[in-house]
Amino acid sequence: MLSLRVEDLEMRFAGLDAPALSVPLLALRAGERVAVTGASGSGKSTLVNVLTGLHRVRQGRVFWGEIDIAGLSERRRDAWRARHVGLVMQDFHLFPGLSALDNVLLPQRLSTWRPASGIAAEARRLLERVGLVRPDQPVETLSRGQMQRVAVARALAARPGLLVADEPTASLDAEAGAAVADLLLDLSREAGTTLIVATHDPRLVSRLDRRLHLADGRITDPAPVET
Amino acid sequence: MFGLVLADLRRQALGVLAVALLIALATALGVAVTLGERALRLGSARAAGAFDLVVGAPGSETQLVLSAVFLQPAPLPLLPGRVLAALRTDPRVAFAAPVGFGDFAGDDPVVGTAAEAIDGLGGLSEGRSFETLGEAVVGARVDRAIGAEFSPLHGRRSEGGHVHADIRYRIVGRMTESGTPWDHAILVPIEAVWAAHAEHEPENELQEGEAHEGETHEGEARAHDAAADDLAHTSPTSGDTSLQDGAQHAEAVATTLPPVPSAGLAGIAGAVRRHHPDLDAPVNPAALARPDAPGVPAILVKPRTIADAYTLRQAYRGERSLAVFPAEVLTRLYGTLGDARTVLSAVATGAQALVAAAILLVVVAHVRQRRRQIGALRAFGAPRATVFAIVWLEVFAVVGTGVLAGFGIGYAAALAGAARIGAAGGINLPVEFRAADGWTLLMLLAVTAAVTLVPALLAYRQSPAEALRA
Repeated sequence: MLSLRVEDLEMRFAGLDAPALSVPLLALRAGERVAVTGASGSGKSTLVNVLTGLHRVRQGRVFWGEIDIAGLSERRRDAWRARHVGLVMQDFHLFPGLSALDNVLLPQRLSTWRPASGIAAEARRLLERVGLVRPDQPVETLSRGQMQRVAVARALAARPGLLVADEPTASLDAEAGAAVADLLLDLSREAGTTLIVATHDPRLVSRLDRRLHLADGRITDPAPVET
Repeated sequence: MFGLVLADLRRQALGVLAVALLIALATALGVAVTLGERALRLGSARAAGAFDLVVGAPGSETQLVLSAVFLQPAPLPLLPGRVLAALRTDPRVAFAAPVGFGDFAGDDPVVGTAAEAIDGLGGLSEGRSFETLGEAVVGARVDRAIGAEFSPLHGRRSEGGHVHADIRYRIVGRMTESGTPWDHAILVPIEAVWAAHAEHEPENELQEGEAHEGETHEGEARAHDAAADDLAHTSPTSGDTSLQDGAQHAEAVATTLPPVPSAGLAGIAGAVRRHHPDLDAPVNPAALARPDAPGVPAILVKPRTIADAYTLRQAYRGERSLAVFPAEVLTRLYGTLGDARTVLSAVATGAQALVAAAILLVVVAHVRQRRRQIGALRAFGAPRATVFAIVWLEVFAVVGTGVLAGFGIGYAAALAGAARIGAAGGINLPVEFRAADGWTLLMLLAVTAAVTLVPALLAYRQSPAEALRA
């Protein structure tokens, strides 16, 4: 479980005068569940990428717990992300040719030479928890809803302190989207992770503790959502 | 990591296979050219190595070697018998064996020679050497059993030769394998060949350039039939190296032969003309030492020392005869072959370079297409080095497999080619790898490893965030 404190963050991209993202101050409590909303181009993705260490930050500080990931090298950001962040993306990014189980285990297998024993058992437990009955099924034979559920299991397999979902329901039908939304909320609570969801889905937004609305790279609606 | 690489390769099995095959074929082309050229060079050098010096009538050196060593039938001018006689008594010569060709048994060349040639080529593996004119020794690769009999054809059967119907040879021995075209030859006493051809050629045909040769045939045949045993003692020519005219010799021999009833002589001569040479007569080495012996197209000479080889070559290199070191003639041929090889190698290398470039393009395009997947790997926390290793491993696995398979295919192709060409040319073409090839392979793999770094680096340099957005 991680708390966040962002200070004086400014992201600029080549060829653009205005900063793509400007966050003078942002704080999240550990275990807080936040929706990030905004039109496309509003800086939503940039914020998610900054918070997960995918973007290099040149100006500002991004503290997750005690660590300022803005000060880390790319290699160490990769390692930090592998250790602390679970990612769920719109397009699942499962690897065809591997089973559901192998997909869940892949990040840990790739980031450590000798993965801890018991990760397979945890992966099976998670797959069962997200409702997948056949962990050895090749992922390309799954339905889209099932795929995203495997992705959720994968994001949680390494017991991250932060779960980040980028439009997790956007490419799913309503029913599957609702199921995935349930899983994200339930599992992040079970695992006690901080949850950040970038989404357009109002039903999902309404179920989160807090909403950050972005426009033109600035947070315009930092008020907590009433629950 | 390996699981992911394997899954990736499996998923694109067809494309992977096509690329690997392309690389394999390009590599095989180069390997086959190298191996094939080497096999041809080694094989013919080994074939020629068994023959130190070849003496023939003036003409083409290459043709002389091709005929005497590689047993390619060709109408060669004949050397007068006295040359053989002189060589056989020369102290510088360990042995001198005539080579008389033109006859075949099936498609196996029948070579008239002397027993020394059998020893010179490595000796017998079974049976014994020929002792009478009707006996034959087969080369190691001749598919005929000891005890089998055959009648020689004048010319190949496949080329419409005619049978020496009255001559039957019986096989009494088999030579050890020498790796030379002689492995496919059937060796018979040269006297038998002379006899077969004497009876065969009507006298009126022999009045041209070869007239005296015809006479010597007859004289020789007579000498055999009438006084073969005595000849060994009475032949005036042993030790005689003078190069007199053959006809004179025939007379001289005739006069020194023991008296034979003229009726008997005529009868034998008649018998010869009626195609009944006496094949039961024992082989008589002395007959070859007679200066009036019939002509031979080529003589294999084994000099006693290297110095002797050079003086002999010098001595027999002139207007009347030609002496060559087969190895030297072949070296000259290799010079030409070497140029051809250089061209072939250049073509092969060019083809490989093109294929390599094409493949690199495919791989780079492939990596760009997979940006998202690679970005996702990074996003999920795979270290950059791991992503780098995955991409490199994948590309290297495909290209490396192609290269290795190419060596295999090239080797197989060279073997197949060598078998076909070797069978046609009658020589063993040894297809073999050398230490240098190992280095070539390592070099190739090293270059492959280095080149496949390019796509790996491309993947490594990608920002995961941008890759995911793409």
